[in-house]
Amino acid sequence: MVEKTRRISRFLDPRLLASLTSLEIKARSIVEGFVSGLHKSPFKGFNVEFAEYRQYVPGDSLKDIDWKVYARTDKYYIKEHEEETNLSGYLILDTSGSMSYKGEGILSKLDYSATLAASLAYLMLRQQDSVGLVTFAEGVRKIIRPKTGMAHLKAICAELESTVPGGTTDIGDTLDRVAETMRKRGILIIFSDLMDSAETIISKARQLRTRKHEIVLFHVLDHHELLFPFDDTTLFRDLEDKSEIITDAFSLRREYLRRMQQFIAAFQSALRKSGIDYLLADTSRPLEASLRTFFTKRQAIGARIA
Amino acid sequence: MPFSFGHPWFLLGGLSIAVPIYLHLYYRKKPVPKDFPSLRLIRLSVEAIIRRMKLRNLLILALRILILTLLTLAFAKPFLGSLFGTTAPSGAPAAFVVILDNSLSMGASHQGISLFNSAKAKALEVLDKMGPYDKAAVILLNDPGTMLFSQLTWDKSELKEAVRNVPLSAAGTNIFGALNPALKLLAPVKNFKRSIYLITDMTNSSWKPFLTTYDLSAIDKSLDLVLIPIGEGIPPNVAVTELGIESPLVLKDRPTPMWATIANYSIRPQKTRLSVFIEDDKKHDISIDLQPNDKKRVTFSCEFKSEGVAHVRAALPTDSLSQDDTRHLAVKVMAPQKVLIIKPPPDREGNITKEDLFLRFALNPLNRSQGATFNVESRYVDETVSLELTRYSAIFLVNQRDLPEPFVNNLTSFVLGGGNLIIFCGSRVDPEWYNANLIDKLGGKYLLPARVFKRVGNAVSKSVAYQLTDLDTGHPAFKIFGTDGNGDPGKAQVYEFFQVKPDSSALVLARLSHGLPGILEEKRGQGRVLFVAFTADTAWTNWPLKPTFLPFIHQSIIGMLKKQGLNSDSILPGTPVSILLQEEGLKKVELTPPHGPAQELPIRKEGEGLIHFSTVLTDQPGFYKLSIERSSGIQTEAFTVNPPPEESDLDRMEIRKVPRFIAIKHTPGGTQTLGDKVALVREGSEMGISLLWILLIAAFLETLVANLSTEVGKKGFS
Repeated sequence: MVEKTRRISRFLDPRLLASLTSLEIKARSIVEGFVSGLHKSPFKGFNVEFAEYRQYVPGDSLKDIDWKVYARTDKYYIKEHEEETNLSGYLILDTSGSMSYKGEGILSKLDYSATLAASLAYLMLRQQDSVGLVTFAEGVRKIIRPKTGMAHLKAICAELESTVPGGTTDIGDTLDRVAETMRKRGILIIFSDLMDSAETIISKARQLRTRKHEIVLFHVLDHHELLFPFDDTTLFRDLEDKSEIITDAFSLRREYLRRMQQFIAAFQSALRKSGIDYLLADTSRPLEASLRTFFTKRQAIGARIA
Repeated sequence: MPFSFGHPWFLLGGLSIAVPIYLHLYYRKKPVPKDFPSLRLIRLSVEAIIRRMKLRNLLILALRILILTLLTLAFAKPFLGSLFGTTAPSGAPAAFVVILDNSLSMGASHQGISLFNSAKAKALEVLDKMGPYDKAAVILLNDPGTMLFSQLTWDKSELKEAVRNVPLSAAGTNIFGALNPALKLLAPVKNFKRSIYLITDMTNSSWKPFLTTYDLSAIDKSLDLVLIPIGEGIPPNVAVTELGIESPLVLKDRPTPMWATIANYSIRPQKTRLSVFIEDDKKHDISIDLQPNDKKRVTFSCEFKSEGVAHVRAALPTDSLSQDDTRHLAVKVMAPQKVLIIKPPPDREGNITKEDLFLRFALNPLNRSQGATFNVESRYVDETVSLELTRYSAIFLVNQRDLPEPFVNNLTSFVLGGGNLIIFCGSRVDPEWYNANLIDKLGGKYLLPARVFKRVGNAVSKSVAYQLTDLDTGHPAFKIFGTDGNGDPGKAQVYEFFQVKPDSSALVLARLSHGLPGILEEKRGQGRVLFVAFTADTAWTNWPLKPTFLPFIHQSIIGMLKKQGLNSDSILPGTPVSILLQEEGLKKVELTPPHGPAQELPIRKEGEGLIHFSTVLTDQPGFYKLSIERSSGIQTEAFTVNPPPEESDLDRMEIRKVPRFIAIKHTPGGTQTLGDKVALVREGSEMGISLLWILLIAAFLETLVANLSTEVGKKGFS
């Protein structure tokens, strides 16, 4: 397995994947699906595994009534089933110019995000879930529809490999497109530095959430963005629109950090209220740490619901 | 307070402030390029802090410059409060002049403290701070100013002894008279720390005129001018500021109107009594009520029972300034004055002219034999040979053709010896004889104040009438006409007169309407000659018929008589007095001052039979009697010395209005002695430690301001 993944993509780190073998992706809520998997189907009474009987109440479909029980007891009972279903997810990756930033670390924000995305795609495919990929900048660049099977991993990794960062960020339009594409409920895992209008991002994410999609947002930021460790009078060049500004970074730090805190807090607060998972991914942190945080959070949420 | 520096070369280190300025500018121009994901937050941050950043940068720059400046100053060993370092080397000895005010106003006492004693004590304190290598001198601030030392001296004990023995002067305050010699004494000693300590009561009356005429800012800046004011507040003072006689001539046994001015220099009304004494005999005791800051003129009358010089004294009860409570006046009491008119002889037809008549009427209008001011005697010139001319106060020489030579000689001696000659012209005057015998032949003893030429105008046809113009109303002869209502001599008409060319030293008292001189006067020896270019009767002019003729004749003679001897009205303490006398028969001159024994005065011969003597022993106010001993007897003259009235006004000038001077206020019992304060001004206080403290604070502030953002930034995100 390790040897195989190494061949597939530079974003699949064998050591990373090995450390995650004990982990499983669990959706926070039950999603619908056709393929038996580790996820509970929200729809009961069709096949696979009996769940419980419950008394008929007006409004229930007559075809769900268990007539055998009626024959025995002269009462109307509905037979309910819990069905194992597969998880359908999209990995949505921001490939704008700002994602090409690489501070003092080894990976750029895009590299870090791609590695996370590839790792999650691998894990999802391995547990029979279907996974797709969306890359975007000013708009959607590429959509790979969700499929199951490990063979699909190659297509995803190939796309990740070939993506070149550039352009500005327009998350809103991208999420609209994804919403149109996803016909059934699923999980959307977004990797972005969110250098777009916060109101738009939050608004679009909420819209998706109202369609019962599970959304996880990895806010990918470089260590330099978080700490602004610059001292000199600096000519800053914007990696997205190439604009420039000269300022005394040293004097600016305090205000910048205050605004960055506000920026992050605004997302955290708004998204949490909407039931969207927000994860701050500092590119200086090991990937395992970010993934562990993700899984730890997912497990905790799953346990609470169960 | 000014700065000085122990090591001024270290100030060159001040150039190092260019370093932070350079760095400040350098870093503004050379930004480090840096790619960044998005400038959105940076832009928002920059907008928020751009003004704060600029302020912070400037603050840091200012603090860095301050630190370097303070560092430089600290190394330069600064002294606060002294200018000496600008020219004198560090540690140089001091050269200073103490100007001690001993003018009359310093005699005041306020709340039991004598200003003068207080000033002397302060002068001694200043001198106590004199180091072994310092030089000093003491100058007294009075009028005209007294140098106690002609040059700077090292002898501290001599200086202190001189200060202890300084008497209070009755003179005024001449600040320039004391400051100027002090500046001259200090001018050559440029390598010394130079200063002038002026210890004074700051009277407004002396400082105000001084500041309007003297530019203190022009004084060498390397010289410290230190003002040590004496006294607090203004003591109330009432003074006799004037004493005078209304009548120009004081005659024996005649009531003489007199007046005195009493001034109240205080903010409260005062009630006082003026006592008038003649030779210590009280004649009047007058009660006077004075309003705040008020002056009142008091009039009274005195009768003098004997001829000669009388001492009149007007005195008030003693107050805070006793020296101005008494004023003296020397009054010359005369007998009625004898006047001789030398009238023209009758003409060939035996007609006599009327000049004598008009002049006699003018001199003695009521033709009184007793009680008249002038006793008039008329003679033809032939009758004058045997006359003793010195018996007469004035001689009128009226329309004379020529005069016998002996009479001319007698007349010359009479004038040069102090007699008064009035010459009226007329048809009998021969200009050639006058010029030859009364000017050319007499040489330096000439009598005429002008050379006489042709006659102008025609008194027969009276076709042209000239008027008297350009009257010299400052001269006693015409002074009376300067007041409205006393008539105008210009209304008289002159039809004929002699054209004259005045001598260079003659005064033209009046001109005729086309500009030629009409009346002239010249001082000749001790006497005076008045020349009138027209007649004393109505032959050439109608002036004798006008009411202004009589006062002109009277005032002319009185003016001449008053100018004889000493003018005793305006002698201020310390002013030299000099008199010119005929040498004839003079043996010695003695001066008796108010409180001292008679002293013989040295006499200097001036030539032409004249003697000059002078005295400077006029320090004390009072009556000074002069005995002039001649072989013919003893002549007595007198003068009085009075303090300047402006010294009685003790109102003080505000110190802040005095430029250039550093004021040292000192009240006894303070934590610092006057000597300490003087040393502080002279040496300054060493500022190095204080500067280092400020430096430390500035460095701390710089660190705080420069690192404030970093401290917050390091916290990052939790």
